[in-house]
Amino acid sequence: MTLLNYRADALRCTRCSYCKWIPFDLMKSWRFSKGCPSVDYNHFHSYSAGGRLVTALSLLDNRIEVTDRVIDSVFKCQLCGSCDVTCKMCRFDMEPLSALRELRFKLVEEGHAVPKHKSVMEGFRTQNNMLNKVKTKRGDWADGLNLRDLSKDKAEIVFHAGCRYSYDNDLNHVAKASVSILQEAGVDFGILGKEENCCGGRAFNIGYKKDFVTAATKNIKDWTNAGVKTVVTPCADCYYTFKRLYPEIGSEIKVLHMVEFIDQLIKQGKLEFKNSVPMRVTYHDPCYLGRQGEPYIPWKGKEKKIFGQVVIYEPRKPRYNGANGIYEPPRNILRAIPGLELVEMERIKEAAWCCGAGGGVKEAYPDFFTWTANERIEEASSTGAEAIISACPWCERNFIDAMKEGDTNMKVFDVIELVYKAIRKEDF
Amino acid sequence: MTLLKSAYQDLEDIVGPDYISDDPSIQDSYAFQWLAELVRPEQSHYMPRPVAVIMPASTEEVQAITMVCNKYHMKIKPISTGWYHWAGPIKDEDDTLQVDLRRMNRILEIDEKNMFAIVEPYVICAQLQAEVMKRGLNINIIGAGASTSIVASACAYAGMGPSTYWMGHNSDNVLGMEWVTPSGEIIRTGSLGSGDGWFCSEGPGPSIRGICRGFLGSRGGLGVYTKCAIKLSHWPGPKEFNVRGTLPAYRLPIHENFRVYTLAVPSWDAWADIYYKIYDNEIGYIFHRQFTLAGADLGPALWLILNDHTKTLNDIEEMVKRSDIKELTEELRISFQIILAGRSLRDIELQDKILDQVLAETGGWKVKRFCEDDMAEFTNVYLQRLGHKHLNFVWVGGYLGSWMQPGTPDFVKKYVPIAIKGLYRDAAGGLLVQCGGDALMGCGSTVAGGGWSGLEQFVSYDPADRESIKAGTKHMEDAITDAISNGIPPGKEAIYLSLGYKDEKIWDTLANSQQPIIFHFQRKIKEAFDPNDIGDRNYPTLPEDY
Ligand code: SF4
Ligand code: SF4
Repeated sequence: MTLLNYRADALRCTRCSYCKWIPFDLMKSWRFSKGCPSVDYNHFHSYSAGGRLVTALSLLDNRIEVTDRVIDSVFKCQLCGSCDVTCKMCRFDMEPLSALRELRFKLVEEGHAVPKHKSVMEGFRTQNNMLNKVKTKRGDWADGLNLRDLSKDKAEIVFHAGCRYSYDNDLNHVAKASVSILQEAGVDFGILGKEENCCGGRAFNIGYKKDFVTAATKNIKDWTNAGVKTVVTPCADCYYTFKRLYPEIGSEIKVLHMVEFIDQLIKQGKLEFKNSVPMRVTYHDPCYLGRQGEPYIPWKGKEKKIFGQVVIYEPRKPRYNGANGIYEPPRNILRAIPGLELVEMERIKEAAWCCGAGGGVKEAYPDFFTWTANERIEEASSTGAEAIISACPWCERNFIDAMKEGDTNMKVFDVIELVYKAIRKEDF
Repeated sequence: MTLLKSAYQDLEDIVGPDYISDDPSIQDSYAFQWLAELVRPEQSHYMPRPVAVIMPASTEEVQAITMVCNKYHMKIKPISTGWYHWAGPIKDEDDTLQVDLRRMNRILEIDEKNMFAIVEPYVICAQLQAEVMKRGLNINIIGAGASTSIVASACAYAGMGPSTYWMGHNSDNVLGMEWVTPSGEIIRTGSLGSGDGWFCSEGPGPSIRGICRGFLGSRGGLGVYTKCAIKLSHWPGPKEFNVRGTLPAYRLPIHENFRVYTLAVPSWDAWADIYYKIYDNEIGYIFHRQFTLAGADLGPALWLILNDHTKTLNDIEEMVKRSDIKELTEELRISFQIILAGRSLRDIELQDKILDQVLAETGGWKVKRFCEDDMAEFTNVYLQRLGHKHLNFVWVGGYLGSWMQPGTPDFVKKYVPIAIKGLYRDAAGGLLVQCGGDALMGCGSTVAGGGWSGLEQFVSYDPADRESIKAGTKHMEDAITDAISNGIPPGKEAIYLSLGYKDEKIWDTLANSQQPIIFHFQRKIKEAFDPNDIGDRNYPTLPEDY
């Protein structure tokens, strides 16, 4: 695909601006009615999905050149996918989110990358992670845990911690908790430790498609060599990347997020919650696990017209609109934890507001990610919850960072931490 | 078109550097407007570029911007949510400053006791409805749906919708406006203008609603409306929409005091009769001919597809061949929707009985499949919130409205067969969507209490295909000819098309209209409020010598 493939999407955009809001039917208040952080923070229409489609069209038709404003508007967006859900509420012939990604590929290919992304990508290329940390220290979180090393050994299940849970010392207890839960449930698995690579998903989203392919190819090869059939990850970004992007380059490996796996283990009676976790919490759906976490369906086809001008696709095109995201497994788990009370925010599931960290925003636009996260924290606080729970280290890191500048007492946890508290007496 | 550095600086001084831009990508994103391709040279999707886009945060900033436009002889063009080609600049030869009002987005007050709300221009219908429903109140959401600005429909356009029958249209419901005139004066209308608050649009204080509105609303052509008060209505339903179902088939459970029906009648005579009987019996809360927008031939299958999230438009070919769908399509051919809302269980039971009697007298029926729980709950949320109005574009991304001449049902039914025949004729070549000649949609009544209706023909074309666009334009021209040759004034399409005309052609058209004096009056109004001609021709006027 190239940007040209999305020219018809741009021409068929009606400038309805649905992509700026949550689905109207789900609106419960003025305060929490917005869907797109980008346009809400930056205001000009070009900072919405519809506006970016116009930018794409104007570039394709040589009406405009790439200016600093174009770069700013293209990359100051979390690729959260809220626009994709709301646009497709009423449309079957639009793929705004894919078009936004393609626009980034074009700019990066033509040498218009964001400077801060360039330095992140240097680290990605040399150290195989998005945090510019030393490659050889990637497996340190697992020191002393006696886990099977799949760079030397074999197993059908690999636990992939991801860059953030591997390196972030404030958060990597979640990786430890994850493996402990797997052990508790008697799961036979291994890790790649210091040989684990970045999934490549964040590189993909900031426009570096080739680098993504390199990373993906290496990971698929490593897993194949280790006899892996299933990859389990606690990171929503990795999950999306493995589940939706890897099959495009030939992966057939099954992908599960830890919350899906835990949900299954509970249903199979393999996990027992012994402890009460008395807490009132609210759950934040990570974009890449929720509305973008839908199953991959292979498709290659073309547009066809029937009844004169009605657009359909031959063969039938998969419809990624957030209807089949991973929404219930994390909620099932939270509801199953004794003592825990789950209260919902107004914008949930397909209508969730982004944490602010996605699409390279965390790496390049600190004011914007902080504002976006604080919007969500305020929404979480309005429920009366004492903690905001997520299933993605990027969301959690972002909330923690944003809170440093606010005056909230809200705590941040991963679902996995609460499961750990419920099954183990001791803390981390 | 470029903005003088000094003008840019003057404007930047008002709003700060973050809220003004003349970058070409920003300009283009405001020039790109739906319907432009039908009227612009070479089927371009872009209206003329604004010289810059500016975002004020207050009435005072709007006033200061207006003064700068006067100083530099620039057109001023406000846009709020913006969903029409007339929301952008209109003429290539004009320097137009686009004023995006999205930062003025607050609900300033909800006066529960006196049943009105005061809002800024970027408050949309869905937001206000969600807030006022918590207080047992409701608003009239216009036909274009939940995404639209209340200030825009109340102050600068017409403002009718499915609930207008019960609640009135927004140009009636506006109780006071704050208006920055093109000369930069701030005028507060009605009781607000005499310091008595927002409760009455006609005074004590300046009663200038007719001046502002003119023939069809100024649509950004006569200054900027910065606030308005809108009348709220009684809402006997739940305080919050607890919507269920999987998108896009959201469903709203039907409250015990409500009934949600799709009704059908055997003929257009019966259609007019049942409308009169509904008016006369004063039943119904939401009253609209909505689902026919997708065409009488394909519409029934489309709504069932939408109500099943596993389906796509790929299913439609097979579905329309099924005998049950064929039967349903015939059953729904002359159909409409009504939602009854009772103040009590006895009230709703009475309305139900009356409706049954009305159906018996007109030979009408309840369309069983569309009254089953799934479709009724879908219809319920669809019409209560109007959050799916982007479905106007569902077939291929381009839709235009033709006909829609307002009048009594007996008047409307006269143009229905002409409109039906015209669409079958114009779509026959395959350049327009062939969804059925009756793709006629419209309010049960465009005035409170009933009496007046109108039907708009939904014509779908592909904006990514030049030949299809041309067919859309030709359809509009043909619809005008069809109307005139049958003694009916032109409809909505004439307004759409006029955006692409030269001034002289518009003046000729206005001079030959039924009441050209309106446009002479409007010239005088414009001379008084816009001496430097900074508003554009969306507020239509006739030169003195016409
Ligand atoms: S991208 Fe979709 S939702 Fe956004 S303005 Fe365009 S058509 Fe509307
Ligand atoms: S992906 Fe998210 S931030 Fe980007 S345009 Fe869409 S809704 Fe806005």
